[in-house]
Amino acid sequence: MLKLNSRIITMVAVVAFSASLFFMGCTSRPSEDELRQLNDLKAEVASLEKQIADKEKEKANLENEVAEKNAKLQQCQSDMDAVKKALGQ
Amino acid sequence: MKSKLLMILIVAILLVIDMPSVLAQEMTKEQWQQEMSQFTAKRNDLKSKLDKLNADIKSLQDQSQKLDGDLQACMDEKLELLGVTQAEYDAFFEELARYESRVSELMKMSDEELLKYRQEVENMNKRVAEMAKHKIAMVPRQGDRIKRLQENIASLMLTLGKSKTYTVGTWAKDRDCLWNIAKKKDIYNNAWLWPKIWQGNRDKIKNPDVIKPKWVLKIPHGTELTKEEKSAANSYYKKKAAPPAAPGQ
Repeated sequence: MLKLNSRIITMVAVVAFSASLFFMGCTSRPSEDELRQLNDLKAEVASLEKQIADKEKEKANLENEVAEKNAKLQQCQSDMDAVKKALGQ
Repeated sequence: MKSKLLMILIVAILLVIDMPSVLAQEMTKEQWQQEMSQFTAKRNDLKSKLDKLNADIKSLQDQSQKLDGDLQACMDEKLELLGVTQAEYDAFFEELARYESRVSELMKMSDEELLKYRQEVENMNKRVAEMAKHKIAMVPRQGDRIKRLQENIASLMLTLGKSKTYTVGTWAKDRDCLWNIAKKKDIYNNAWLWPKIWQGNRDKIKNPDVIKPKWVLKIPHGTELTKEEKSAANSYYKKKAAPPAAPGQ
């Protein structure tokens, strides 16, 4: 009887210990899906950052282009004024 | 004993099966939640930033397009005022740029080398003078370019004028004397300017009546006698006019 009891106790202890290991992994950790969701979100943020860097370069180039064209237009208008003055207009 | 060993074995197997999933999930649910919130906020912020950038870029593209139109309209009006086509306007500037480049090359040459290009410089001088009268020269920037070019060409002409030389031939064949040399069309075309050659070559010509074949005489630039040249000529004529000294005096 005593031997049987000690066996039962040992078995219960083993099962309980194993179960605790399982449940430790299941209840306070994110699932595989959730982890994938987080990784996708991080990848999206990285992609957005790269897009923004490219767009900022594009914007800077356009700003230079507009400034150059403005300067050319002002020069053209100034030339016209000088020619009109020289022609007595 | 056997049963204890069996129990230990069962636990060990269970541990081996379970360990990878235990090790892989270092993040707790709470930490996951925090990171999800953080990255979601960042994503939303970046999306608004990207939207604003796209709007700015579109606005700049529209501005650039409008400026193209305004610039073309201004050019068209300018060409009409000047009375030239775009092709003529471009050709004028190409020609001007060619002369500027050529004059820059010529200015780096030595005086001797430049002599070979006398005709080219004279032709350029005439052509640039014509260009200066064109309406396009009324445009201040272009007028300034033409003016600078003319100044540089004038400096080349001056150098060429100073550097002209003449190699004396023989009296028998060429009838070369200072008077006849000055009379030549490509020298002064004016015999009365012979004192310029004399005074410009005092190191060689001691007596203006005596020049020797193969002498290379410098031909000074100018169309009139300087004060000094006139004075030298007058002294020469006085000496010539004076009666010869009597023998023994």
